[in-house]
Parts: sequence; structure tokens; C-alpha cells
Amino acid sequence: MNKNQIPVGPFHPLLEEAEYFNLTVEGETVVDIDMDIGWMHRGHEFISEQKTFTQSIFLVERICGICSTSHPLACVHAIEDIDNVEIPERAAYIRTLIGELERIHSHLLWLGLAGHFIGYDTLWMWSWKYREPVLQMFEIISGNRNHYGMMRVGGVSRDVDPDKIPELMKILDTIDSKMIMIANAAHDDPVLKSRLVGVGVLSKQDAIDFCATGPTSRASGIPGDVRKDDPNDAYGRVDFDRIVLNNGDVYDKLVVRVLEILESTKICRQCLNQLKTVRGSILNDVKEISPGEGIGRYEAPRGEVFHYIRSDGSNRPVRHKVRAPSYVNIPTFQASCKGIPIADALITLAAVDPCYCCTERALRVKDHEEIDILKLSREKTERLRREIHDH
Amino acid sequence: MDKDQTTAFIKVMDNKIFNLIQKKKRLYFEVKNEDLLEVTAHLFKTMGCRLSTATAMETYRAIEVLYQFSHDISGSYFCPRVVMTNKKKPVMHSITPIVRGAEWIEREMFEFWGITFEGHPRKEPLLSRNHPKGLKQPLRFGRRT
Repeated sequence: MNKNQIPVGPFHPLLEEAEYFNLTVEGETVVDIDMDIGWMHRGHEFISEQKTFTQSIFLVERICGICSTSHPLACVHAIEDIDNVEIPERAAYIRTLIGELERIHSHLLWLGLAGHFIGYDTLWMWSWKYREPVLQMFEIISGNRNHYGMMRVGGVSRDVDPDKIPELMKILDTIDSKMIMIANAAHDDPVLKSRLVGVGVLSKQDAIDFCATGPTSRASGIPGDVRKDDPNDAYGRVDFDRIVLNNGDVYDKLVVRVLEILESTKICRQCLNQLKTVRGSILNDVKEISPGEGIGRYEAPRGEVFHYIRSDGSNRPVRHKVRAPSYVNIPTFQASCKGIPIADALITLAAVDPCYCCTERALRVKDHEEIDILKLSREKTERLRREIHDH
Repeated sequence: MDKDQTTAFIKVMDNKIFNLIQKKKRLYFEVKNEDLLEVTAHLFKTMGCRLSTATAMETYRAIEVLYQFSHDISGSYFCPRVVMTNKKKPVMHSITPIVRGAEWIEREMFEFWGITFEGHPRKEPLLSRNHPKGLKQPLRFGRRT
């Protein structure tokens, strides 16, 4: 049978960001996939090295709009790792609370998009409706619905007002009841099962080979979760389960995320209860960072966010490496997309909850000469026309 | 750091690793290019570590590549470092044939730092394939402004 190429992207209704996938198909079956990334020029690693440590935290908060607390958390962990800086107990609970609220809103965002992608808009509207109270909680705590600016080396920048805790608990109760409703609906729903079970399977061995993380790997039977494996902040002091399933298909990735939302509300409730009684400072005074290197990581909604910082003893990093979870999860498409029908490829691509602006955090373009984009575009069109004609 | 794991690793790799820096849950060490694949195979296949990523860096002395392997069972990191003093033509082994998850990060280090990874299955840029003029190692000294 003849092989054909089907381009998806770089601008496609399914992709929230610019990305390009080249599917090779035989009839209706995908036999190969190639990914072409690099459409967004962010330059975060380079810019961070021009900033002070505190400014870097603000900078990495802008890498991603969805996990805007995961990058700062991993960043402060990396800086604190250089000098083994301890943080106050109250700050640890606040960090964990913010991190888990972010997980809830990120998973709900993905759940809504996944529902929309498979034509199940009821799930989309439900998920996004119940994501709204989470954003309200952020506003109550930090004053912002996104980009909370909470993380500092040695603690957090803002305290949680004890008078607001009953209100936050009430919102959390609402979210909990609605999440149980969505979890039960997802469990019983024949539409979701018929559309997602057995689709885009990532085997356990492939997940290990590609070094996948987060719900992508936990749906394939790998128990890795930074919150349990290397508990930082208050994760060693709260009770929660790690969610691990074994089928590796899109349905299991959905179920992992829904169950993780329930675990996250459990953690948030414990943190808020602790914040009623744990008193004291929220920020240790860190005057300077010693020469050395530090590794920081955090279990973001999509998996492990990794930051590496090297310091020469000045007030800014000499090297700041950022690796987002999508960077290791996106290549798993080479395993999960092969052998499936084209109709299943798009939801399989969406199932790892890819974040392309996180993935492409490094690329920097600065040309001293002006580039005539129109001329280049015409040249490229002509080159492609010739290639097709010769072929 | 899991002292048993670290002690066992140091004992097994004693003659292959040097300049050790040991911190709480972190072990940084240098490894010669010719020993990199053996150390990687031990970390990835024998100990079951996961590659978090790799970090390239230019210093006045050399170009370094630091691999960060996470040992999830103990929550610790093992970080082999390869130092290339020939800055004009940095060459080292690729670990992608052992760790498939290293393919992208090695391509990225190739395009940003000009490091040639011998044995890499796909020696081409990762992020700048569509750049109108092509990038020439933009994170090396002298090309960063």
C-alpha cells in the first residue's frame, strides 16, 4: 500500500500552540510520526543568566501560563539546593497548597480540552465551569488568578489570611463534590470508554525508554511521582495516594488525572487545616548564594519540572537549565501513535497534555541583519514547488 | 541520599569516576568520554535510573555536559559530567543508543553548543530547523550578545 504524508500544524484547531507533526500513513493507519518543534522563540535560559536570582523566579513564572507555579517552585528548590536552605513550616504548607491548586485547575483545563477534542462538549463545559472556583481561590490567596508571584528563596512572599480559610474550605467542598460527580460520570460514561479505551497505548517499557514522567508514565504503570519519591515542602507531612494505572491508553491518562484531582483536594484541605494552627515566619532571610550547583524539581501537573542552577557566588546564575515535562513526554508519540487510525492520532497527541511553550523555553533568535520574511517566504514556496514538480 | 546505593555505585565504578562532589541526595562526578557509555548503562539499566535531562555549559577551561539521572526509588541524583577541553571541536559519545529519551536533549546541545555526539541516530537541530538563516551555536561565548 502507498504511504502518504499528512501534516498536522503548525497551525491547527487541535493545537493550542504552534506545532508541526508529520504523520506517515498507510491507508487509515499511522505508521510513522515526525515532530518539528521550534516555532516559539522564548530564550528563557539565556535571559535568566542576565537576571538576579529573585528576578529569575519571576522570569520562569512566565514560561507557562498553566503551570505558572511549577517552574518558580522548581527554580527556588534548585537555588535552595545549592546551600541546603531550609524553609519555615508555614511556608512549606503554603507552597504545597498553591502547587496542588494549580494541579486541580490544570487537570480540569486538560479534561475540558480532551472532551472538546472528541466532540464531547458537555465534559468541556463542566470541567471549565468547575475550574473557575479554583481560580477564585487563587485570587483570594494571592490577589491574582494566574501568575501568583508567591515563591521566594527561603519561603513564600505572601501569607494566607487565617480569616479567609473558612471561605477557602467552602469552595474546596464545592470542588470536591463536583469532582466526585465528574469522576463517577467518567467511570460510567459509554461515550468516553468507547472513544478512549485502548487508544494510543504507551507501554510501560516505552515509557521507561523515553524517560516519560507524570500522568503519562503513571497511566503506563510507572509509579514515579516527585511528591512521593523526593518529598519537598510539605509533601512529607500530608497524606495522599499516588495514582498508578496500567493500560497506558488515553482513558487511563484521563482517569489518572481525575483521581489526582481528588487527591489534590485532600492535600489542600490538610494544608488549610495546618495553616489554622501553624504560626511563625513565612520567609527565611537568605542574603547570598554560595558558589556551587543545585538541582530543583517539582511534580507539575504534567510531570517532573526540572531546574538546574550553577552559581559562582554572585547574585545571578551562571547557568540555568530548564526542562519541562512535555520535553520528555512529547517524544513518546513515536511509540503511542504508531499503528493507530488517523482519527485516534489527534486525541493521542493531546493525551500527554503537551505544553509547547514549556518545551521550547530555550530558543533565542537575535539577528543583527533584518530578515525579509516576505522574500524568504516566496523563496521557500518556489523551492517547495520545484521539489513537488521534480518528484 | 541513599548511602547504600551511593556506596555501591562508587565501589563498582571506582576506577571510572573522579572529582566526586557528594551532597544530600546528589552525587556529581566526572567521567572520561571513553567510560561514559559504561557508566550510563550501569545507571540506566542496572540501577533503573531515569534521565531527567542533560545540561551543557561553557567555561573558560572547557565545554561540559552534565547528565542528570534521577534514582526515583531513593529520590537522589547521579550526575556524570564529561569535560571537553578542545573547545573548537567538542566531541563526545552519544548516550541515545542506550537511553532513547536522550535524543532531543543531545540534539539541542548540538545546535546550541556545537557539541558533536558520536553515534547519535539523528544529527540535526531540534529547535531551529525552521530558522530562516540557521543558528550557529548561539549559547557559546562570543555569540551571546
